[in-house]
Amino acid sequence: MHRNKKPQCYRGCRKLSDHSSGSAVHSQHALHALTSAALVLPGLLLSPGHASAKERINFQYSRYQEGERNLYGAPHSLKPITADVLHGSGLFSLTDRTTFSFSYTQDTWSGATPITSTPLATTGGNRAYFGKGGVVAGASPILQSDVLLNRDLTPIGRDLFTKQLTGDVDPRSVLVMVSASPETRRQATFGLSHEWNEAAINVAGGFSRERDYKSSFGNIGGRLDFNQKLTTVKFNGGYTFSEIGAILDHDSSPYINKDAYIQNIVRRGSSEILRDDRQDWVANVGLTQVLTKNAYIDASIGYTHSSGFLENPYKAMSFIFVDPAELNNGLSTPVTGRVRAFIEQRPGTRNQVALNAKYVHYISPFNAAMHLGYRLSVDDWGVNTHTFDASWVQPLGSGWTLTPRIRYYSQDSASFYRPYLFTQQTYQKPQIDSLGREIYFNPTNPDALYFRSGVFGYVDQNGNAIDDAVAQTLQPKYVPYQLPKNFSSDHRLAGFGALSGGVVLSKLLAKGVALEAGFEYYTRAGSMQIGGGGSSSFTDFDYYVANAAVKFDIEPVTSSPMGGQDSSAMSHNHAASHHHHTIPPAGIMFGHMLDKAGDFMAGYRFMYNWTGGNMMHGTHKAADQRIIDQGCSGQDCQFTPANMDMRMHMIDLMYAPTRWLNVMLMPTFMDMDMNLRELSGVKDPLRSAAHSSHAGLVHETGALSDTYFSSLVKLLDISGHRIHVNLGLSAPTGKTDIEMRRTHTEEGGLIHFGMQLGSGTWDFMPSLTYVGERSRWSWGAQLSGIKRLEEKNKSGYRLGDMVQATTWGGFDLTHWLTATVRGAYTWQDRIHRDFDQFNARMGPMDFPSNYGGQFWDMGFGVNARIPAGRFAGNRFGIEWLQPISNDFNGFQLNRQGSLAATWSYHF
Amino acid sequence: MVKNCSSLSKLKILPVILQALILSIVFTGCANVAPWERGNLAQPQMELEPYPLQSEIQSHNYSSREAAPSHKSTSGGGGCGCY
Repeated sequence: MHRNKKPQCYRGCRKLSDHSSGSAVHSQHALHALTSAALVLPGLLLSPGHASAKERINFQYSRYQEGERNLYGAPHSLKPITADVLHGSGLFSLTDRTTFSFSYTQDTWSGATPITSTPLATTGGNRAYFGKGGVVAGASPILQSDVLLNRDLTPIGRDLFTKQLTGDVDPRSVLVMVSASPETRRQATFGLSHEWNEAAINVAGGFSRERDYKSSFGNIGGRLDFNQKLTTVKFNGGYTFSEIGAILDHDSSPYINKDAYIQNIVRRGSSEILRDDRQDWVANVGLTQVLTKNAYIDASIGYTHSSGFLENPYKAMSFIFVDPAELNNGLSTPVTGRVRAFIEQRPGTRNQVALNAKYVHYISPFNAAMHLGYRLSVDDWGVNTHTFDASWVQPLGSGWTLTPRIRYYSQDSASFYRPYLFTQQTYQKPQIDSLGREIYFNPTNPDALYFRSGVFGYVDQNGNAIDDAVAQTLQPKYVPYQLPKNFSSDHRLAGFGALSGGVVLSKLLAKGVALEAGFEYYTRAGSMQIGGGGSSSFTDFDYYVANAAVKFDIEPVTSSPMGGQDSSAMSHNHAASHHHHTIPPAGIMFGHMLDKAGDFMAGYRFMYNWTGGNMMHGTHKAADQRIIDQGCSGQDCQFTPANMDMRMHMIDLMYAPTRWLNVMLMPTFMDMDMNLRELSGVKDPLRSAAHSSHAGLVHETGALSDTYFSSLVKLLDISGHRIHVNLGLSAPTGKTDIEMRRTHTEEGGLIHFGMQLGSGTWDFMPSLTYVGERSRWSWGAQLSGIKRLEEKNKSGYRLGDMVQATTWGGFDLTHWLTATVRGAYTWQDRIHRDFDQFNARMGPMDFPSNYGGQFWDMGFGVNARIPAGRFAGNRFGIEWLQPISNDFNGFQLNRQGSLAATWSYHF
Repeated sequence: MVKNCSSLSKLKILPVILQALILSIVFTGCANVAPWERGNLAQPQMELEPYPLQSEIQSHNYSSREAAPSHKSTSGGGGCGCY
């Protein structure tokens, strides 16, 4: 029995149903009869709520933007957290019953995040730095500070600007924020599932990688249908192993006590890295039950067991040390509390149980579905949560669906969460031996103890005096602190409530292409916790998420409502109806046109660009000393790029309104990483110390890049020869004002030109393409250019114009595989103008004259077109472009080559 | 200010789970929807997750901002969410 028939039937039936609703009751009856006839066939019933797997490919872009945190008006230049998420996934049938799935997610985040919380009235906290004319230049977290307390341990207020005492008590707390340079995470997941008539099993696994956190995971699950598929039982189990390699923030690390993790911290260069791992086990069982012909319920219970390093290594707890002798001296004058930060300590295990229930009801008069959900979770940290959510899925006709959604969440505080803690003990109280002598030790040999003898002298354990060289290495031994076993001021463990709401709009286009857009606004407040009593308002914040997705149903669409024909045969016919021109090599953009009016093409293009090896000047290698002297326009260069990777993801959408005109839309996404090295022979290493210290000199950026749209016009189409012109525009949707984080009091400034994500200007991108073919041979040539249409972008500069000429030849190895060779010449102008905001001027990559040049490349590629079968109509191409000769403007990193890979599908 | 009611709630949850199980068994017994009456249930808006891409994004954001176990705990991954 061919499983594919069933969803086609549903799709077909639904289409009919949409048209007939409200018009002819008679056809409704006929439809029911047809549907029923199909449904009674054995093995064809759908399990309730579980969509049968359809072959599809999805792309989604999402942006997360947080609002400002409440710093009570303290001056600062901290930017709230933003995250850009790019997601691609696909589902393919390997056989009638076996499907393979994959997904890839990449997110890049930056902005300021809380590191701890303290009373607002400390001498530290978020301290602003003022630049020229009193303008706020930035804020750095001051983690070690003092706070004046009355005898009830209530802080006495200080002015936020001058830090002078106000005299009144001020019990408010505040988050202490730290900023971060952009960081990128990548996750890939692969899955395999197999279906029987009344059961399914699936296995999946994958990994997630970021600079400081690596995890690998796997899970297995299944489904069993009973009771003529009125009841479905689901189960699954999973395991995740994560390795933490947290690079402790160089700015704040010296002021955070790390004694509890001394065994876990290793040094690499000037960085301190905290290493550990954690394991998470999950198990779920669930049940889906049809209640009536319009409603079903889905319920499940899940258990999660976590062990290992469950802390967030970047969060610290502020302890306020109050000297008990001072507090109990009988006076009524204020006492001084010393605020000191310690890396948080959470329990080593966590057990969580979650109960989910969801009720889905079909609302006949509206043809809509109402989804109501409730979720309860409890754990042994004291974090009990309630989640209520409701959504209304409303089809609007003509393929549109609108879904408003609302959600309320409330959680109790973890038992060990406090904004900060008082501790009545002396900070750094010297240890005294039985003879009343202060005890000292040598950090390199901590077991050997020494004792203060007289005013300046020290003796060892045998009472012998030691020489000065040893004495100078000694440090006093302090009475160990008596601290709670577990403590955290991570506001995610606080008690709070959150309300969010949003809407999803989707539109099903013809030919199995669907667009989807979503928006959600989320607001969190301590006062919204169920039963009240949440954390005070200092942790409140809000965020919004906006996203857009395009989904391709790559299963061939059939017009037959009963799905009577074999689907793969249909798709073959569909594909074969096109005459297949050979397509240009993968590295050529805008190189071919659709042949028939009404045709649609969807595709994905990946480009990887690799630079590395030697620094070059003109056509020759440049030595470090020469870069120092000449690479930075009169000043000395400090750093140079060691390598740089750039990856681009482009979504190709092409449509042919007429035979001679095609329109094209191409959103692009980009991510880059650059490693720097210090130039050997730098005269003034002190100047670079601040920069060399941060984050191991790896710079990362990534998010939405520029968006291209164009129209292609066919000029000539005779047997064996075609010419078309492309008139394209690039819209400046990529950011050009990405900054590096500040280090101590030094601004990071705008990141290097080449690491910004777009041109920042509207650009004109014309091209002229000729392609020819004769029997197994094909050939072509393209002349293309980029002309920047604006003088400068929002950061003050403009990228150079570009011209490229390329020509290629191809040979059909078989009827579905073509090999190509091509040559390309590229001229690119230097960058014009310059940053009009602060940039650190670290090395050649920060100077406009070190961009552009003339480049000669050779490309080698293959193109494949799947001629028949289930995947007919899919085309793939891959090409490697090898630099042959380069003439760089100024000083630049050598080009190592680039890879282009494409997939496209014609409808 | 901080409440410690984890043990209390754990005791409370057991009857809830039992009730849910009993209810589901009751429903199993009483539901009798013939295959030809399931047209509405098969509508796309009736799917348990009508928008899988949206729920993936939402649960990732919630799990990096809230302390409840991840909604998508079965799929694993998700990274540190350390911001």
